[in-house]
Amino acid sequence: MIRLPVRPSPNGLSLALLLSLSLPLAAQTVDDDGFTRPLEHLKFNPGLDQREFEISTLAALAIYDPWEPWNRRVYHFNHRFDEWVFLPVVRGYQSVTPRVVRNGVSNFFSNLDDIGNLFNNVLQLKGQRSMQVTARLLFNTTFGVFGLWDPATRMGLPKLKEDFGQTLGSYGVPHGPYVVLPFLGPSNLRDTGGLVVDFGVESPTNFLNVSEASSQNPEIYLVRAVDARYTTAFRYGQLNSPFEYEKVRYVYTQARELQIAD
Amino acid sequence: MPYFLRLFALLGCLLTSTASLAVDIPIEEYGFPLHNPFEATIAGTPPELRPSLLENDDIDQKDYSITVRPDREYDLPDNFWAVKKLRYRLAVQPKPAPLIFIIAGTGAHYAAGNMELLKNVFYQGGFHVVQLSSPTSCDVMAGASRYATPGLISEDADDLYRVMQTIKARHPRLAVTEYHLTGYSLGGLHAAFVSHLDETRRAFNFKRVLLLNPPVNLYTSVRNLDMLVQTQVENVTNAATFYESMLSKLTRYFQQKGHIDLNEALLYDFQLSRQRLSNEEMAMLIGATFRFSSADIVFTSDLINRRGLITPPDYPITESTDITRFFRRALLCDFDCYMTEQLIPMWRTRFNGGSLQQMVDAVSLYALQDYLQSSDKIAVMHNADDIILGPGDLGFLRRTFGSRLTVYPLGGHCGNLNYKVNTQAMLHFFHH
Repeated sequence: MIRLPVRPSPNGLSLALLLSLSLPLAAQTVDDDGFTRPLEHLKFNPGLDQREFEISTLAALAIYDPWEPWNRRVYHFNHRFDEWVFLPVVRGYQSVTPRVVRNGVSNFFSNLDDIGNLFNNVLQLKGQRSMQVTARLLFNTTFGVFGLWDPATRMGLPKLKEDFGQTLGSYGVPHGPYVVLPFLGPSNLRDTGGLVVDFGVESPTNFLNVSEASSQNPEIYLVRAVDARYTTAFRYGQLNSPFEYEKVRYVYTQARELQIAD
Repeated sequence: MPYFLRLFALLGCLLTSTASLAVDIPIEEYGFPLHNPFEATIAGTPPELRPSLLENDDIDQKDYSITVRPDREYDLPDNFWAVKKLRYRLAVQPKPAPLIFIIAGTGAHYAAGNMELLKNVFYQGGFHVVQLSSPTSCDVMAGASRYATPGLISEDADDLYRVMQTIKARHPRLAVTEYHLTGYSLGGLHAAFVSHLDETRRAFNFKRVLLLNPPVNLYTSVRNLDMLVQTQVENVTNAATFYESMLSKLTRYFQQKGHIDLNEALLYDFQLSRQRLSNEEMAMLIGATFRFSSADIVFTSDLINRRGLITPPDYPITESTDITRFFRRALLCDFDCYMTEQLIPMWRTRFNGGSLQQMVDAVSLYALQDYLQSSDKIAVMHNADDIILGPGDLGFLRRTFGSRLTVYPLGGHCGNLNYKVNTQAMLHFFHH
């Protein structure tokens, strides 16, 4: 009744690659009704009484957060601000601008960020990456017309984000207490310090005259903030858990450790 | 009986029995690349085999909120402010069109990944789409559920039905030609019960209902999922917990790559690297996500009903209260524990419930077998290697749904929902 022609268009090489490399489970036992009993291929601990999930998760909850009551309040404030002000503004922005313009705006600010990325790659003595970011800056500012397009990514130079928090981390500065910043969201003491430095680097550089123009026309900051929200996928409440605060705290902390380690 | 009549009778039997065989997609024809059910469950379909999707800007959609339980405004602590009203997402077509309700899986939000995918597919297929959170998710429990103790599927369905009626009343100008219903995973089971309820209440007269990877015996599924965190994983010692070993694998992977590149192909590439996860590790990851769902349910249900198992009744909770201690307590309780400590006692008190076996029968597809067998508008799509099924479950589906069952050979649990072959089949079902 709902029989369909099942002819997927095989996508050449990548599909063949996946087919050859995705290992099927060993020796399939197939029931009469076609069921392949996937769980029978797993090794379970004999008593079914290990507490590895509990041990791991309880350990993961132990993140240094001495300012928790304050942080939670700010978290709720951010959630409300996001819902009542930030997201409606972003929706307005989306409805009055065509996508080409929005992409241009995103690329433009992203190109500005590469100044900070370059600065921090140099500070971490990452030679090859510094070259790559420099090349990105050159290509995107010239061929990309002041960064409105991002030809560098298409030329095989992906964006390499480094901020001063990561630089500090790579020199062994511990993350310190967890902080939820008003408007900006999760952070910690080290990364908050880093944020201040990164902001401080941008204004004396005055790349493409943006810092100077911004101090005269503060609405540029507004556009930048709206663009930042537009490009951030996170939505409060989407985890749909009463423990969202704890989960975000864990993910933020571990994601930063990953970024520092790479 | 003359000989030729007997022959006719025999032929008739043969014909009807062949007509009621399920549609089995052979593995060679299917073309789904992931042969490992755990990989498929975690990673889903590789990007190049997914259907083409619309950009969000191209969908005329909006989130709405409705008050279904006005009392919860006063009942619930302050930190629940965001879920005191129930939210849903509606995508509308510019012209009169059929409307499809989609019900999310265990613990999932109306805007979860699979929900967005299904919305996109059905919107492209010309439907108005309403996305509903699962009755097991904290927003429905807080904002719409009468007992806030999900698991009695018929009661969950009743809650959902009221929500759907409220939504229908909320959009009087929306031009709807006919109503359809679907749901994946636990949402599939809910869809079956909602459809059954609709046969008597008749608010929608659903034209077609599609169950995607539903549990057949809910208790089997629950035990399977609880078991997944009992796999023997290597490299877990006293010094490094399971998450730490996962994260160090990820760190080593990125260091070898040279930079962090979070994209859709990451998971496939990761499984090709030296750090690839074993089946046991993947099972543990899947099990862990379900344990987080059960912790949310355990905490929320206990709090709303003031049972005092996790949170002391009337414990003052404000926006600044540290509720991590309750999270710790709730994390120790898996689905089986939730059933024993909260669901079954509630069922016995409110519904004069009986034994565990009776409960299992009442909350599984068995409860609706006659209805499902006779109702031509309902179909099922399932996978032969789905981890939430137990032995015999596919047999039950075959006997009950006959040709309205499609069995895909691969995909794990919902891993092939975003495979183009599957999305085409879904649209085909609703269009014909």
